[in-house]
Amino acid sequence: MIETLQWSTLAICALVAAARIPSTLRGENRSLFGIFALMTLAILLSIQGPYLAIDRALGGINLANLVLRFVIFGAIFFMGIRISKGFGAEDAYKLITGRPGIVVLAAISACMLALFFMMDTNGSSAGLTGVVGTDPWNSAMLEYYGAAGRAYPAYVTLALLPAMVRAVASRLPALVRVAAGLLGFGAVATGLTLLFPLIPPSLGHIEFIINYTAVLCFVVGLALIWVAKVVNGRTAPARRKSTET
Amino acid sequence: MTIPAKAFQRWLQSIAPDASTADVCRVSGIKRTTLAQQMVRGKVSVTTVVSISRAYNINPVSALAGFDSFHVLAGPPRPPTRTELVSQVSTPDLLRALLVRPAMEPAQGGTAPALSPAPHPTSVKNWVDAIDDGEVRHRVSTATGVAPQNYSAQLTANRLSPELAVATAMAAGVGPAGGLVATGIITEEEAGWPSGARQAALDSLSDGDLTALAGERLQAMGKVLRRQEQDQAQTDKIWENLG
Repeated sequence: MIETLQWSTLAICALVAAARIPSTLRGENRSLFGIFALMTLAILLSIQGPYLAIDRALGGINLANLVLRFVIFGAIFFMGIRISKGFGAEDAYKLITGRPGIVVLAAISACMLALFFMMDTNGSSAGLTGVVGTDPWNSAMLEYYGAAGRAYPAYVTLALLPAMVRAVASRLPALVRVAAGLLGFGAVATGLTLLFPLIPPSLGHIEFIINYTAVLCFVVGLALIWVAKVVNGRTAPARRKSTET
Repeated sequence: MTIPAKAFQRWLQSIAPDASTADVCRVSGIKRTTLAQQMVRGKVSVTTVVSISRAYNINPVSALAGFDSFHVLAGPPRPPTRTELVSQVSTPDLLRALLVRPAMEPAQGGTAPALSPAPHPTSVKNWVDAIDDGEVRHRVSTATGVAPQNYSAQLTANRLSPELAVATAMAAGVGPAGGLVATGIITEEEAGWPSGARQAALDSLSDGDLTALAGERLQAMGKVLRRQEQDQAQTDKIWENLG
């Protein structure tokens, strides 16, 4: 089931990214393509098969996992900028791009890098499962490393959450409100990843479900806004007539 | 609340005993599937009854009065109040009437063109405002169990269900059919409003009253337009950044 979830998420991300190519070539919101492309890459790097292939090429010390974390950070950062600008959420925009946002990003990145190189990460494995073995030092490091990787996405998406809640309750077009609902749901899911250390290992699959739900919510939500724009573009001329009176 | 299918069928029997459903639909211009669906659900809409009444030359108000939920419509029509009449003058008509008043432009005499028929784009809201003593919404909500915010939402959309329209008129103590005119379900004539009553009511307003009223209408309209513009600006921003 988890395999299906992973591959279908990858397919959806890749499809949306590919669908953005024409508008990207026209120069419309190029960073959206970047966000979808980064997300596709992130999903690719979290699936065992592609991960192993890429990591071996990078030396087999799980550098690909570190790359994955920064790919996620990048996708989340640009997504945060686009969404907060689009929805007019100045508070969120400041939290993401202002001094606090940059400090958080830099601190988390530094911690993550340090933790990564303090671990013994020999032996490729997606999600670093089974790499640390039973060594208590290594497993503690891995725990912190994982937490650092989840902290930044949670920070950004939780900063966006209030704006999403406002948008759902607003008078924006219905599709946009549904999209805001999805983005908000994704933000909650991302926030929940902070609680992963509390989930017993026997329920590990819940972590996967939460992660992929979040990604799917973001991708589908963003794609839906784009769909809403296309739909609006088709009906706008007729609507303008009726509001002119 | 609508009209129960059983009562509707009894009524249809009484006005067109020999007509088949197909005949009724043909003469009244109702889609057969629409009527069939309403019958299956056991709830017939008020507009169906109004259309059929018109087709058979029956006054829709008296037809509706025959049903339990609209029995208050029975009896001789009560004349509308002046504020009700003026509320059913559209804002453009109101402004045109104002522009030919001597108070506006002393030199220019003239007459405004004939009024367009009710309802107009804000007729429901204007009608409720015209009969509201400040407590009407509250009383309607108590009488019907409809939450005040749902009631307000209908008014904002210039809509009001026939039941609420009648309940509002009752709560305000005006003629029961006024709300049905404002919502466009029946015509002024069918409600028993004298012809030319709106024009007469408009003419009877003093220059001061008319000007103040026009000001209120414009202010309300400005608010709505500004809100639409804000919504549009917000939507455009989303398209610009995320489209």
